[in-house]
Amino acid sequence: MHHRVTALIRLIAVSGVATVAAMAPAGAALAQQMGGELIVVQGSNPPSLDAMNTSSGASRNINMNVYETLYGFNENVEPIPILAEGVDISEDGLTYVFTLRQGVKFHNGDEMMASDVKASMERYRKVGATGTLLEPVANIEVTGDYEVTFTMKAPTPTFLEAFSSPRAPAVIIPEEDGAAEPGKTSLVGTGPYKITEYVPDSHVTIEKFADYSQDMDHEGMDGFGGKKTAYLDTVTFRIIPEPGAQVAALEAGEVHILEAIPAPAARRLEGNADIEIQENLQWAFGTLILNVNEAPTDNVKFREAVQVALNMEEIVGIAAEGVFELNHGWTYPNSIYNVGDIGANYYNQGDVERAKALLAEAGYNGEEFSILTDNSIPFHGRSAVVIAEQLKAAGINAVINQVDWPTALNLRMQDTGWNGWTLTMGIEPYLGPAAIVSTLTGARPHFVKNDPVLDGLYQELIAGATPEARKETFAKIQEQLYTYFGIIKLGDTGQLQATRSNVKGFKTFRFPRVYDVWLEN
Amino acid sequence: MALFLVRRLLSAIPVLLVVSLMTFLIMWLVPGDVSAEIGGTDATAEQIAQIRAQLGIDRPILERALSWYGNLFQGDLGYSYLLGRSVVDAVLERLPVTLSLTALALVFATIIGTLLGILAAVRHNSWLDQTAMVAALVGLSIPDFWFGIVLIILFGVSLGWLPTGGFVPITEDVWGWARTMALPAFTLAITQMGVIARMTRSSMLDVLNQDYIRTARAKGMRGPTVIFKHALRNAMVPIITVVGVTTGVLLSGAVVIEQVFSLPGVGRLIIGSIQRRDFPVIQGGLLVTACVFVFVNIVVDMLYGVFDPRVRDDR
Repeated sequence: MHHRVTALIRLIAVSGVATVAAMAPAGAALAQQMGGELIVVQGSNPPSLDAMNTSSGASRNINMNVYETLYGFNENVEPIPILAEGVDISEDGLTYVFTLRQGVKFHNGDEMMASDVKASMERYRKVGATGTLLEPVANIEVTGDYEVTFTMKAPTPTFLEAFSSPRAPAVIIPEEDGAAEPGKTSLVGTGPYKITEYVPDSHVTIEKFADYSQDMDHEGMDGFGGKKTAYLDTVTFRIIPEPGAQVAALEAGEVHILEAIPAPAARRLEGNADIEIQENLQWAFGTLILNVNEAPTDNVKFREAVQVALNMEEIVGIAAEGVFELNHGWTYPNSIYNVGDIGANYYNQGDVERAKALLAEAGYNGEEFSILTDNSIPFHGRSAVVIAEQLKAAGINAVINQVDWPTALNLRMQDTGWNGWTLTMGIEPYLGPAAIVSTLTGARPHFVKNDPVLDGLYQELIAGATPEARKETFAKIQEQLYTYFGIIKLGDTGQLQATRSNVKGFKTFRFPRVYDVWLEN
Repeated sequence: MALFLVRRLLSAIPVLLVVSLMTFLIMWLVPGDVSAEIGGTDATAEQIAQIRAQLGIDRPILERALSWYGNLFQGDLGYSYLLGRSVVDAVLERLPVTLSLTALALVFATIIGTLLGILAAVRHNSWLDQTAMVAALVGLSIPDFWFGIVLIILFGVSLGWLPTGGFVPITEDVWGWARTMALPAFTLAITQMGVIARMTRSSMLDVLNQDYIRTARAKGMRGPTVIFKHALRNAMVPIITVVGVTTGVLLSGAVVIEQVFSLPGVGRLIIGSIQRRDFPVIQGGLLVTACVFVFVNIVVDMLYGVFDPRVRDDR
């Protein structure tokens, strides 16, 4: 009975949706306008427009409007086919047969065939910035004009998730570019826009690709995939490094979208009818990494003292200029891997007395606690200042070593000489538990010395056959992170974006999607 | 004159050698390299080592220096680690922006500064003199990045007369170029206007008190002729010296202005390359900038001769 009622409700709901959908196109067509030139601003120059060769966010912002992958994430961070029709995975998990969508055109007019996919994957293996994600693949074969077969070395249940990663995406490019050196391809992709001009440190212009073949299996865009529509004639990504100049350009109406706007400027513009502010609270995790190889952070009781001494609300509130959420978990709250309250009793304590007791237990004698931070990412420097003050209040001799970003990355690779390192993780939490934990395990984890328990749990996580099994393992991982204290979660930091109010259809995401966006009037 | 030119060009070689050597040493001392930018935060020690080996930055400093100088003598400044192009191409495509910005700022600073200085000298100790000198002092003291933002808000946002930033090549659209360059060039010029105005004033005051000026006036010559033909010409040598130094200051000031007004010039290229540790671009960019600086100084030395025949004869 219950099933029948549910089926009935579903039928009514589906027919309702169908009616609305049947009525919608006329209205939607009226609202959405073709043509126009959109200008998007970002602060950094894209180091490369060869998408597979870079994991830079500045490049991804542009590239993901130009190139496409076989598989990518939907809005709920689940792998969906984009250039593929689908994939058949053999029961033993050793064969992946990808069927390609037919009639997909490259920007050079050629049709995408299986040989292009094979050439792209072979190139990705060699020059891909995250080429290691193809490590589980033993062999890639063309098994039909529109079919490619991957043979795996061993069953890898998380392969499709890893393969869908947008960090340095495994994009499909023409076979002719298969042997091109990094950064020397013809910049041809299959996306709704094609690259027409690149003036380094100035701008990148992309133009609507008239022969773009939409994925008609979807109603509209969905994460990195779905049915994408290019409404605009051209889109220019302008590089403006100075935040004040970015905001001025937006206020003057010279540009339409700011990829990121500082919180104080966003608050000032709140009452401005010409500008809309968009908030993405799930942008990055703020963290403090502790060096477990160097005294005094080599002592787990000392690390626990640091954890309980910190008041995260103050740290993240100040460092993220108010755009933040408190979250003790190592996933976002809406993730299917959210394991609830594990570790919450250690988070945002600001408990000086408990910290002092733990320091006494650790036998702490006032040794220096050196926090490595940088001035390139404002969150890092600001959070280090608040952390240092809070630790001093608990009796820890905290000092700050602020350098520039390349120097910080160089120093943290040294096994000694630092105790804490402030780091925001942007793409890892988006990609899910495995991406975060992989940075804390392996040959050289972020906290320098391996934790064998965590290493074992990571292997269990990536071998987990189902999401449920992986979640069960992840609960143990979160427990272990709050036992080992090699990394301290500060909180979730957000990103603010701004658009002129005549920009329609823009939805904040991991990169500025300029398809399904149009200009009013 | 030709001998003088050859002598000056030859003396530039050790200058450029020292500049490039200093750059090499400083970049060697600075921690961090481009492998961090390429590898990202999640790179393992092995990956970093692999990137360093691929790019050859794990080689000893002496070996890298010798190979760089070896290539330099063949006109090759190397290949950028990150830009996907040769250093020569990267610098040459940005040089017109920096040079046109510096040149326009120099024109602004020289014309306005000289006129202000002349006005102050001619109306010595009057309210005009005081106002001109206060204006010069204010211009001299204003931080240019702040003044740039103020001009953007005033002329770009509030009045909407000029664009807030960006660059239009002069070859594409002269009017567009002038509009995009007006604010940055004026911002860059403002501090040097003050220097030139003060130097012109003092130099002109010295000359205006000379006997031959009194004689010219006694002969009944018109005021402007006395000032521009007799006085200014003789006051020019110290002014040219300042203008020569100013050009160097403007070239280095362009770095900040290019950042504020989002101009794709050499300054921004070098700053970006320092932040990313793209060594070949830093070295090549600085060497080219040093060449421009040396060239400007040679031109200034030659101009002395144009205005002062005694210097010309000494050569």
